[in-house]
Amino acid sequence: MKNYPLWKSLLVILIISLGVIFTIPSFIYKEDSGNWFLDNKINLGLDLQGGSYLLLEVQTEILFKEELDNISDSIRLIARELEINLADIKMETDEIFIRFTTTKNLEKLREKFLQNYRNVNAVIKEQTLKIIINDLFKKSIQESAIKQSLEIVRKRIDESGTKEPLIQRSGKKRILLQLPGIKDPERIKELLGKTAKLTFHMVDDDDSASLTANRASFGKLIVADFYDSNIKYLVDKKARVGGENLIDAKASFDPQQGNAVSFRFDTTGAQKFGKATSENVGKRFAVILDGVVITAPVINSPITGGSGIITGNFSSQEATDLAVLLRAGALPAPLKIIEERSVGPGLGADSIAAGKIAAIIGMIGVCIFMILIYGTFGIIANISLIANLFIIISLLGTIGATLTLPGIAGIVLTIGMAVDANVLIFERIKEELSKNNKVLVSVKNGFEKAISTILDANVTTLIASLILFVFGSGPIKGFSITLSLGILASMFTAIIFTNFLIYFWFSVSKKKEINL
Amino acid sequence: MFGLNKILPSNSNYSFMEFRKMFISISIIAMFISLILLLFKGLNLGIDFKGGTLIEISTNNSNISELRSILSPEFNDVSMQEFGDSKTIIIRLQNDSSNESIKTIDKVKNLISDKVNEFRRSEFVGPTISSELLWIGLQAIGFALIAILIYIWLRFEWQFGFGAVVALTHDVIFTLGFLSLFGVDFSLSSIAAILTIAGYSINDSVVIFDRIRENLRKYKKLDLPDLFNLSINHTLSRTVITSLTTLIALISLYIFGGEVIKPFAIAMIIGVIIGTYSSIFIAVPTLLIFKFRPQEEDNKLI
Repeated sequence: MKNYPLWKSLLVILIISLGVIFTIPSFIYKEDSGNWFLDNKINLGLDLQGGSYLLLEVQTEILFKEELDNISDSIRLIARELEINLADIKMETDEIFIRFTTTKNLEKLREKFLQNYRNVNAVIKEQTLKIIINDLFKKSIQESAIKQSLEIVRKRIDESGTKEPLIQRSGKKRILLQLPGIKDPERIKELLGKTAKLTFHMVDDDDSASLTANRASFGKLIVADFYDSNIKYLVDKKARVGGENLIDAKASFDPQQGNAVSFRFDTTGAQKFGKATSENVGKRFAVILDGVVITAPVINSPITGGSGIITGNFSSQEATDLAVLLRAGALPAPLKIIEERSVGPGLGADSIAAGKIAAIIGMIGVCIFMILIYGTFGIIANISLIANLFIIISLLGTIGATLTLPGIAGIVLTIGMAVDANVLIFERIKEELSKNNKVLVSVKNGFEKAISTILDANVTTLIASLILFVFGSGPIKGFSITLSLGILASMFTAIIFTNFLIYFWFSVSKKKEINL
Repeated sequence: MFGLNKILPSNSNYSFMEFRKMFISISIIAMFISLILLLFKGLNLGIDFKGGTLIEISTNNSNISELRSILSPEFNDVSMQEFGDSKTIIIRLQNDSSNESIKTIDKVKNLISDKVNEFRRSEFVGPTISSELLWIGLQAIGFALIAILIYIWLRFEWQFGFGAVVALTHDVIFTLGFLSLFGVDFSLSSIAAILTIAGYSINDSVVIFDRIRENLRKYKKLDLPDLFNLSINHTLSRTVITSLTTLIALISLYIFGGEVIKPFAIAMIIGVIIGTYSSIFIAVPTLLIFKFRPQEEDNKLI
């Protein structure tokens, strides 16, 4: 190796050795071992290890409607105070039109209303008061809804026993979930699909006229029964106590009523509930979950201990899930699943196996081809190619990248494309040889002349690949990562490692010429 | 060593430029057909871009017609397809107005659970997402083209950039036309394939352009068509060898890589073949429109 500096040899050998050593963690793949070295393994994407990817959207429009409901209630109260009669109310997504029978006192009503609501615009036009929720207020409603939703989703997923979930915000009002290894995505979706808004209301059994007319009087609500939607209850609109005051909920079993959920209130909740039950002994209260009555038992005696059970015709899974939902708390607004990708463990394992076979056979094919074309230099190019693969795998492991199915495709593609740099070099060497240059001069010139072409050619593929990384989602990002790493590694292996191997071969074989 | 390198065109001297009119005509016709196909037949958009639900199952005791008879009455638009073998079946459902993945997938699972061995995969893409993904995909392709163009423009004279982009556009349109003709499922990974083909096509053109630039300096007296010919021949064995190794890897991927990856592999295979062709027969002849040596061209014209 008289033509190759020692320090350079050592450096090349060191880098390649590191490349080989750091593939070990990926090959003996173990779940998190806690060992600094073994944890440098490749993470498998959901499409390879199985699991679910969910994209949820917080349905914030409903919150605007709730806000408008509050506004309209407050207007009614003020109107009643000022003795103004309402004609009708029309609601849009973020505005509300309230028409009165007169224009008298409307300005007064507006002023009074605006004392309580600062984040809305109220305009009077003849007999109509138009109220618009302003953008800032909308944004703050949306913002707090998504933050709260994230927290609740996290709690629910944790409670469901999913391991290593990834839960993160995506854009203005979306939540992205990656749940590796879950076997029953339907159950998770069921858990996330419920708002779980639990409230306790007093039932009004005296006013049967409103019920038959199906028109609730002011301050009341008509709510259907969960099991039989023909059964209706007239309840107070205002909840006596709600799920936010719960501190614990567990699935339990009641000998008479079957599966149940037992719950416990915090101090405030216990006080409110105690007060409501002691004032209303003999009457019924309704347990309302997401807009339907689950149960409406008669209050036999005041419940002051702050705990109780909810019964219904639950299955044991339903009871468990309801307990999970109640513990985690209610979502501020419903979540809608707008994208789902679930892969079973069988398909993931098949994909890995198929990817391995494709890579190995592609590798063998390329290696044989290179030997047929270039003989000894083909073998050298093949050693570089194998080193390239080791470097890709070790880099994937050490940077903690995720390997996906398109990522495997990227590796197989790299196997085919990575030899390009070597081909460019060998062809240049060949040309130099044909000019009757000496072998070592030809090798040196060949490398030097090929380098700028190699750079130019690879940069374009790298650009395409980086753009994929920026724009692509999960699996496609995996492709761009392996392809980019493959291209970068191939530049190193082709230009530096192959060069080293050629000098090494010349110094060992003592040959003075080559047949290219 | 094995002497096989002699079979390949080393020191070749083919007259590529002589046939340029023929190849350009063929390419124009192919592009025209591709555009017609894209316009009237369109791409077979998968659920990534069309939205909908996809469920892949494996079954031991059932077949497509039985599953169809169970599901058809319940859903508006069900399509089924064997996926690799007769035991693996893909069920596709369109989004309906009240689309809720949870309900659709649940309903399908309940209806056919006793026929199914394993639910291998289920995907749902809502209408907002599918249009977003399509838009992002188009953006990605647009940005990639611009970025590549800028790079070529910085590294070469702008005429080369033009030639490379003509070839690249040719490759992308032809590949899309092919995908349309054979109804290959067009998904997110197809976008990845298109971008990779773009990178590969440019890569191939760049290697030849590099040599043209070098030879322009070296052979100042040579006619441009001859100089282009010489440059193509100089780089021909590299062009062929790299295309072949890439194709070997891709064919292995197509045959052994599993069903999911097949649309990607086939798009890439077509793209690599067409990219190799176009860098020789399209990218280089395009350069002839420009006068790299003004005075010489002028002499000739007189």
